[in-house]
Amino acid sequence: MNGAAAAVSPGGSAWRAAWRQLRARRSALLALGVLAAIALAALLVPCFSPYDYATPVWTRIFTPPTLQAGRIFGTDALGRDLLVRVMWGCRISLLVGVAASLVSVVIGVLWGATAGYLGGRVDGLLMRTVDVLYCVPFIPLVIVLEVLFGRNFLLVFVAIGTVSWLDLARIVRGQTLSIRAQDYIAAAQALGVRPATMIRRHVVPNLIGLVMVYATLTVPSVILFEALLSFLGLGVQAPLASLGSLVADGAGEMQANPYLLVIPAAFLAAIILCFNRLGDALRDAFESHRG
Amino acid sequence: MSRWPLRRLALPALLALAACGPGHGGADPRPDRPRVGTAAAATQELTRAIDAGGVRSIDPSISSDLPAGRVLDDLFEGLTRLGQDGEPVPGVASRWDTSADGRTWTFHLREARWSNGAPLRAGDFVYAWRRTVDPRTASDYAQALAPVANAIAVSEGRLPVTALGIDAPDERTVRVRLEAPTPYLLSLMTKSFAFPQYEPAIRAHGDDWVRPQFMVSNGAFVLRELVIGGRIALERNPRYWDAAHVRLQRVVYLPLDRAAQTDRFFAGELAFTDSFSAEQTSWLRSRLGDQVVSAPYLGNFVLGLNATRAPFAGNRALRLAMSMAVDREILVKYVRQGLYEPAWTPTPPLPGYHAPVPAWARLGEAQRHALARRYYAEAGYSAQHPLRVELHYPTDSDNRRTYEAVAAMWRSNLGAEVRTFNEEFRVQLNERHLKLLALFHYAWIGDYPDPYTFLQLFRTGFGYNDGGYSNPRYDALLSAAGQESDAARRLQLLSQAEAVLDEDAACIPLYYYASRHLIKPYVRGWTSNIQDRNLSQYMYLLEHEGG
Amino acid sequence: MARYLAGRLLTAIPTLLVIATLAFMLLHLTPGGPFDSDRILTPQIERSIAARYHLDEPLWQQYFRYLGDLARGDLGPSFQYRNTSVNELIAQGLPVDVTIGALSMLFALLAGGALGLLAATRQGSVLDQLATSVAILGISVPVFVTAPLLILVFAMRLHWLPAGDWVSGSWQHLVLPSVALALPYTAYIARIMRASTCDALSQPFIRTARAKGLSPTAVLWRHALRPALMPVVSFLGPALAGVLTGSIVIEQVFGLPGMGRYFVTGALNRDYTVVTGITVLYGALIIGLNLLADLSYAWLDPRLRRPA
Repeated sequence: MNGAAAAVSPGGSAWRAAWRQLRARRSALLALGVLAAIALAALLVPCFSPYDYATPVWTRIFTPPTLQAGRIFGTDALGRDLLVRVMWGCRISLLVGVAASLVSVVIGVLWGATAGYLGGRVDGLLMRTVDVLYCVPFIPLVIVLEVLFGRNFLLVFVAIGTVSWLDLARIVRGQTLSIRAQDYIAAAQALGVRPATMIRRHVVPNLIGLVMVYATLTVPSVILFEALLSFLGLGVQAPLASLGSLVADGAGEMQANPYLLVIPAAFLAAIILCFNRLGDALRDAFESHRG
Repeated sequence: MSRWPLRRLALPALLALAACGPGHGGADPRPDRPRVGTAAAATQELTRAIDAGGVRSIDPSISSDLPAGRVLDDLFEGLTRLGQDGEPVPGVASRWDTSADGRTWTFHLREARWSNGAPLRAGDFVYAWRRTVDPRTASDYAQALAPVANAIAVSEGRLPVTALGIDAPDERTVRVRLEAPTPYLLSLMTKSFAFPQYEPAIRAHGDDWVRPQFMVSNGAFVLRELVIGGRIALERNPRYWDAAHVRLQRVVYLPLDRAAQTDRFFAGELAFTDSFSAEQTSWLRSRLGDQVVSAPYLGNFVLGLNATRAPFAGNRALRLAMSMAVDREILVKYVRQGLYEPAWTPTPPLPGYHAPVPAWARLGEAQRHALARRYYAEAGYSAQHPLRVELHYPTDSDNRRTYEAVAAMWRSNLGAEVRTFNEEFRVQLNERHLKLLALFHYAWIGDYPDPYTFLQLFRTGFGYNDGGYSNPRYDALLSAAGQESDAARRLQLLSQAEAVLDEDAACIPLYYYASRHLIKPYVRGWTSNIQDRNLSQYMYLLEHEGG
Repeated sequence: MARYLAGRLLTAIPTLLVIATLAFMLLHLTPGGPFDSDRILTPQIERSIAARYHLDEPLWQQYFRYLGDLARGDLGPSFQYRNTSVNELIAQGLPVDVTIGALSMLFALLAGGALGLLAATRQGSVLDQLATSVAILGISVPVFVTAPLLILVFAMRLHWLPAGDWVSGSWQHLVLPSVALALPYTAYIARIMRASTCDALSQPFIRTARAKGLSPTAVLWRHALRPALMPVVSFLGPALAGVLTGSIVIEQVFGLPGMGRYFVTGALNRDYTVVTGITVLYGALIIGLNLLADLSYAWLDPRLRRPA
């Protein structure tokens, strides 16, 4: 089965082939495992821990990590358990990462698929717009929007999502162009199927593999961006904490209580690293599969 | 070979290495506690820190923030200056007389020069004060000169600037007429809004006169370098009248946030910090010993309540409940590590002044909580219908810790839901000026060691009365105190006025500030004073290891 | 080449217009308006300020005036720093950004390129795996984590380098900020370099060169390097843009008076003219840098020089 034919059939076999390739790469599997473990811990630990992320405990300020009383990660400046706060931080980072990537995927896929499929002037207009938007300094703009329109958490998702869809749109357009050249598309057109239905039923499912790859690779940059906003003081509001704000707090205590910096930083780096590794492996898997 | 072990270990290893415990021991070129010699250091250059907000403007008429104040203390000098022990001593004026009724002061100036060599004349003070209160200058601190006759009227545009109670009968005499006898006038004269200004520079360059190449000043140092929002470098002024006693050649001010100040101190790049993180006090003391300096400070840390809108308007019971529910001792002991003193009333301790403390402050914790809950219920709130209000404070890690703690106390002691929001200092200031905030950070640093500087905040119509508190009985007591020439009687009246504030729960005092500094042992010539103003002209450096 | 250049410049103009318009909209749609002062202004002063800054004109007129000012390079006054114009802040901050940015890019190119080459020429060895691990680490650890750690180790413990600040004429103050900023890009470039070098080395013309008797080093430098560099060069555009915005964090952590720091304090203090002015400048810089990168790409690949 050559590469072109493989791209023709709907997503199903692409998924299975990718999964097979993935399984062969131990490190990627490990990355997936670590992510799953972190996500599970983030979900369950706060529910089962006797400690709260927001309630200060005056007598336990700045206790270093210890096995006593289950304070595995120690406590912070208000005596709050660091393990629970880090877990909440993971929740928020993962939530923002996935949600914002979702937003960017939806926009990117629709944009790129429409441009690639319809071609001609529409394609030109849509892609020129992408070129123009590419040069807009989004990070400053998002910062400004954050400051001006309040620390609305929903805004964070949307803002970050709208920053990241450009590359995906370009790639999707490229892939759509090659799909469009396939025979079965011409056949469907001859049968009179409408463009919108074509895009929905034939183009998009064939894009899934590609989208999966780039979605996975978008997540780490989104998480980094959210962490950056929190570090600058623009993300979540106290007492909620995201990994970025925990790192910012920890940086201030670097000398006296280094564990306050090291632990959240390690979790943040681990999450980003695993997503990167996973995305890399997926990309290798798809590219080698296509030949 | 799997790549995993390497990669997974690399990050933790790197971080663990960096997090290694303290101390190198003898080979360290810049030890934590450097040994100090007895001779003066070869390079007399002091690097000091100021708050991260930086200096927005070093125009004495306009600037009112603390960082600018520190720099201005070194650049200019008023009729009096702050002595080494924090008491006002002769500055540009070598002596002064007071009239019998205490309302007219005559200052006799010594022979002094501006930094460009021009003689300093009495007219320079007249020009400067008029400029400060002139509504066209739009200084937010015009009201600081309020004790001077007609100052308020001029600043509100009701009288021309020439009506201000200052004039210069001759080039060496400044005559000041006051609204009422003002015992703290000499302290007031040491402040930036009373400094003289060099008119030709301002006329020639307008707003640009504060740039290093144009500025003309009369203090111990001159401005050499000013990076916007960044470092400020000063150089010794040989034309200063007391230059013989000034030993430092250069002073550099760096705006840094609290954590960065500590870091730079350890790195040996900063000799005198502006603050340090209260939570780190015991750790810092173990590493640095005597270099950790803390002293009572003329400032209060207070929560303002908006008396003009819900939920606090007209609801004394609620205000009392909120104030009672705060466990100040816990706050001070754990959150502030014992650095501060708990406060139940706005005015910090001052010699000769008996600040009234509300009766409920002496109750045991359980009783106080019960009383608070009763008032809370009386105000119409309950577990089913809790109070929901926002607390706005300027971004700062100290503030955040305190207010998170206080919000938690309200939640557990009363069941009230208070959400905390942080904003930039200027933004929060503006919002509370516009009376948009119900509950807000309202800390105040006193201008002079007298209760009036704190109590005036609650006077009807005062520019910084951000809560909109208005009580005719209170105003009357303040006015009476203002007219009283007997010092003891005056303080008594002020105390009575403050008791009214406590009764009304006009605000929620939390604690009184302490000044906090990390100071290298080789910096000498400074003393802790209640206004925490440390003029560089008294300081010098001793030779030291690592220097 | 000239036509390519002209074509690209033509796209640049609508982009700048879009950015400028966005900036203008932000300036005027914000709650409270641009003149939220922390002084209690009397109504007459407010009116004179409004007149001086033309706030009483209809919106479309203000817009065109704004565009005109922009074209003349006048970005307006700063509201947080009295008596200072935005242009002055930029004049103060831009050299800082350019210096740190250029040094970082240089470091990233040299170190990343070397790392990538090393890994590619010793494919599959321990060195290769180490290099790849370091690279992926570099991408995953955020700058605001590495920067404080670098300060801790090199400034506070070892006392080798200063902890921050900008002192003109002192090279020591440039080291830590540049290195911290360069690390993620070093990693990216190392990865790209490794992949493209491996690709280049497996091309048929390399075998031809080796068959002709050229030494491996000569083969590498004379034949493989140029095609290997092309993906790196095409990455430079987005990399330089990233360095610009990444310097925001670096300036915060190291206390450097660059545009990034003025931007953040401007955003937090609602100094709208500073914020919009610097945003427009960032946009112009990004366009310029992308153009430069595209040009070098075209120079490197002779096939692109012919008109499309």
